[in-house]
Amino acid sequence: MQRDGKESPVSMEDGPRAVKAGTRKVWRGRACWTTTCLLLTLTGCKSSRSIVAVIPRTCGTALWEPEHAGAATAARARGMEIYWNAPMRDDDMPSQIALVERSVARGYGGIVVAPIETLPMRTPIRRLMARGVPVVVVGTDLGIPAGPGLSYVMSDEQLAGQMAGRRIGTILHGQGNVAIVGIRPQLTSLVERERSLEATLVREFPGIRVVVRRFGLAGAPQEQLSANEILSGGERIDAIAALTLGSTRGAYYALVATGKEKTVKLVGFDQDLIPPLRTGGIDAVVAQNTYAMGRIAIEKLDQERHGIATPGVTRVPPVLMTQENIDSAEIHAILDLSWWKGQ
Amino acid sequence: MTMAGRRIAVAAGIVLLLAGGVAGVWLYRTLGHGGPLKTVYAAFDKQDDWKEYGGTWQYVDGVMRNISDERGAKLMSGSVGWTNYSVEADVLLLGQYGDAGLILRASDEEQGVDAYHGYMAGLRDLDNALLLGRADYGWKEYVAKTIAPRVYAQQWYHLKFLAYGCDFAVATTTPSGETISAAVEDPGCLPAGRFGLKSYNTGAEWKNVVVRPATAQDLASMTGGVTPPRAEPNAYPLGSIPAPYDRYFEPLQRDLEAHHSDINARTIDSLRLLPPDVSTQVTLHGVVTLTSPVLYVQDSTGGLAIPAAHIQAPVEIGDEIEAHGDAVPRDFSSVLEHADVRPLWSHTPVLPVAVTAYQASTGAFDAEYIEIEGVLQGKQDEEGNRHVLVLDDGSQSFRAIAVGEGPTAHFGNLKLRSRIRLRGICVVDPAYTKDQTSFAVLLPSLRDVEVLAGPPWWTTGHVLALIIGTLLLILSGFACYIQIERWRMRAVLKERERLAHDMHDTLAQSFAGLGFQLEAMQQELHEGGEVASQLKLARAMVRDSHEEARRSIAALRPDPLESAELLPALKSCAARMINSNTAIQIETVCEGSERSIPLRTADALLHIGQEAITNAVRHAHPSHVRIMLMYAKNSVELVVADDGCGFHLSSGSAGFGTRGMQRRAAAIGAKLKLSSVAGRGTTVRVSASLPLSFPKALWRTVRMVQPWKRDRNEHDMQ
Repeated sequence: MQRDGKESPVSMEDGPRAVKAGTRKVWRGRACWTTTCLLLTLTGCKSSRSIVAVIPRTCGTALWEPEHAGAATAARARGMEIYWNAPMRDDDMPSQIALVERSVARGYGGIVVAPIETLPMRTPIRRLMARGVPVVVVGTDLGIPAGPGLSYVMSDEQLAGQMAGRRIGTILHGQGNVAIVGIRPQLTSLVERERSLEATLVREFPGIRVVVRRFGLAGAPQEQLSANEILSGGERIDAIAALTLGSTRGAYYALVATGKEKTVKLVGFDQDLIPPLRTGGIDAVVAQNTYAMGRIAIEKLDQERHGIATPGVTRVPPVLMTQENIDSAEIHAILDLSWWKGQ
Repeated sequence: MTMAGRRIAVAAGIVLLLAGGVAGVWLYRTLGHGGPLKTVYAAFDKQDDWKEYGGTWQYVDGVMRNISDERGAKLMSGSVGWTNYSVEADVLLLGQYGDAGLILRASDEEQGVDAYHGYMAGLRDLDNALLLGRADYGWKEYVAKTIAPRVYAQQWYHLKFLAYGCDFAVATTTPSGETISAAVEDPGCLPAGRFGLKSYNTGAEWKNVVVRPATAQDLASMTGGVTPPRAEPNAYPLGSIPAPYDRYFEPLQRDLEAHHSDINARTIDSLRLLPPDVSTQVTLHGVVTLTSPVLYVQDSTGGLAIPAAHIQAPVEIGDEIEAHGDAVPRDFSSVLEHADVRPLWSHTPVLPVAVTAYQASTGAFDAEYIEIEGVLQGKQDEEGNRHVLVLDDGSQSFRAIAVGEGPTAHFGNLKLRSRIRLRGICVVDPAYTKDQTSFAVLLPSLRDVEVLAGPPWWTTGHVLALIIGTLLLILSGFACYIQIERWRMRAVLKERERLAHDMHDTLAQSFAGLGFQLEAMQQELHEGGEVASQLKLARAMVRDSHEEARRSIAALRPDPLESAELLPALKSCAARMINSNTAIQIETVCEGSERSIPLRTADALLHIGQEAITNAVRHAHPSHVRIMLMYAKNSVELVVADDGCGFHLSSGSAGFGTRGMQRRAAAIGAKLKLSSVAGRGTTVRVSASLPLSFPKALWRTVRMVQPWKRDRNEHDMQ
């Protein structure tokens, strides 16, 4: 008699063999039941740990879509998937933080984020680290030391500033007045960029004076207005160094509007407007190699997930885009948007 | 079927059931709006079915409009199960430098530039192109076909986008009547999904949106029967590939001119110093802080109102505008009349200044965007769709006004005496203050009201409710206690009865048997011998023990006792105790009107009475025992009196039985009096209270359970 008072399928009187057979039947039934439950639990489940979130400052631009391509290609090679999304505006910091937090809530296996601003992103990143989520920060130094769970991939802003300074020095033949627009203390990388630019001018081109400095504004139209005022002001301007994508576009518009496209040189940063490079409306753009940054970020993340030590900070050299090399393979490589390759 | 077989069958049944459930859910999701798309779907008839992802959407006079230039604004509808269908609409681009169009077979939508899986076709005025592509949280552009001479903003284009199998076709008809089309085949295509409207970097309008099932004939009519080429995405940003790129410069010029502004614009604060009563033509820049009921703008120096503005394009809060008109200085701020307003750019919202009510009352923040807190004192609706809140903060009162027909649920949910925070335009205009307060706050919407703290909980009503609740809780607790006591008493009585039965069946029967055996033995023996006398003694002892057993059994088995049977129960108990050889008269008297006695009290009185009767019968040798039960207004008294030999009462004379009576009396809070005179008899008097009213009963219960209370009956003897 079983504990529940019911008859056992076998009893000791049936002999040891019958008892074993009966026991097997019972365990078979239990195994069936357990397997069924497990299968039901696992059915439809997809591990989110193999998905990593890649969150740039914004999407759909010539600057950030190559990061998408680099990251997607590297992820596919490692059997990973990426979730690619960003705020619709490249100054919408709260939305970017919300995206980061949502990615963590979904249980993604890691985060690659290019912060819109340095300071507000510190706390969210620290929280991610505290939860053991591996993070790669792209494009700027947050001031949090790299270590287990946190690494950086940045453009070499020292080199970028030198490139721009030397280009200005060359095209002005070492003499002239320069306006620097788009100064943004909100991003550490931009501060580094600006200081490197000015240090290069001071060190290597003492005949060049920086006569105007302007902070960066919310968008290209405001930058246009600001540049209009500079060009219409009393000081003679021979070249404009525009430190951001928006200030480069705004300065170009202002040059066209004031008819000074041919007389005032414009050296910008961060690839955006390509056609004016061909006409000389923009003399040069110091482009970030975001394709390589995306690729390296995924590689670092994958190594982190497998417990392999990675360098804390990786600096990717920028590339100077000019009318002469716009169609070169090197430039095409960093402008590659084909995130779908290998799908 | 064996046990294992049954289990397998049950498991299989559950799997089938769950699989059926999953299939049902999938079918429901797939079929969505009542099944596959079978009929023409007039899209704007069911506005509740639309879902926004970014953008600022308005539906006015049959036209769906997005007035935001966000990159990737979407408005979605339909079902994820729709497969082969076409969407047609008239599309108009509001701005100069973006694109707008239609989405097909979309799923997993989120806010973001290309944050969906699906296909998009539309018009782009950057390169004057008809475009078609696919989004998978990234954009793959398959087609960018030039529309000559250009794509014009502010003009209607008819757009048709069709999906059939893995073939996608798009066609547009320009204002001049020309039709341009393109088609691709996307192997590995998305098989089904919702439809929607999308714009990028520009506002846009859509009208006459119609969705129809698509057939192979529909596809053939769009492609001319030609097999669409395989889709190949463009891998480089516009202008990156060596190609004719002149077409990009005209849109750049347009974008440049769109944001051209007068660099000689005046600051708003400077307008207050213009000559009074003389209107002066000025140009100013400012950010829109309110659009209704009046347009308000603000720059870094102050704010002003632009009533009756002629606005070239729709503006919303956060847009920077250029306005040209007649400046009229007023006391605390200026007004720009007969103004032409032109938007310059978007997304430069003004942050509010946090002020106190006193600061706002000085007029220093007239026409400016402020944040202020106050305690809500009243709500009312006024004519002109005005919803008004009246608030206090310190020594100041002010009004907050929201105008419009938006949802008022939030307004209705605001509770008086809540502390709330508002953001809006501070105005001193008597048209809004009604001269009742020094200033008012114009709210952009009712959603700009934030409740910081609800009204205080400790109101008169809440305190009363708390008191009543507590009393009800105490009452119910007491009722439960009484009921539990009753249950316990019944359980005790039942147990006693069981013991009595057991004793009767075992002990008493054994004594009876012993007695018979001894009697038989005595009869066999010769009278007068020593053994015979010992036997006689033994028989007497057995008889006494039997009597004791019978009395114990009688004490344990009180018979079902109701209060009305107390006296009869005592009488029958007395009758059992005296045998036929004893000439004791038992008299019972009942005085007063009979009332219900609580079970516990009746039981205690019964046992006390039994003990008193036992003592009288055993020790006092009375001839007469009187049992009286006297009912008073609030009490009942039991008296057992005999005319026996009595005894001398002293502090040490209380025996086991007497102490038992004292304990029982104390347990029910009764007073026990024992009086006896040697040679004249003994009287046992016990007086117990009867429950008359709930408060008295409650008080008695509290006294009974207080362990530190002395036993009042312990030394109460006479």
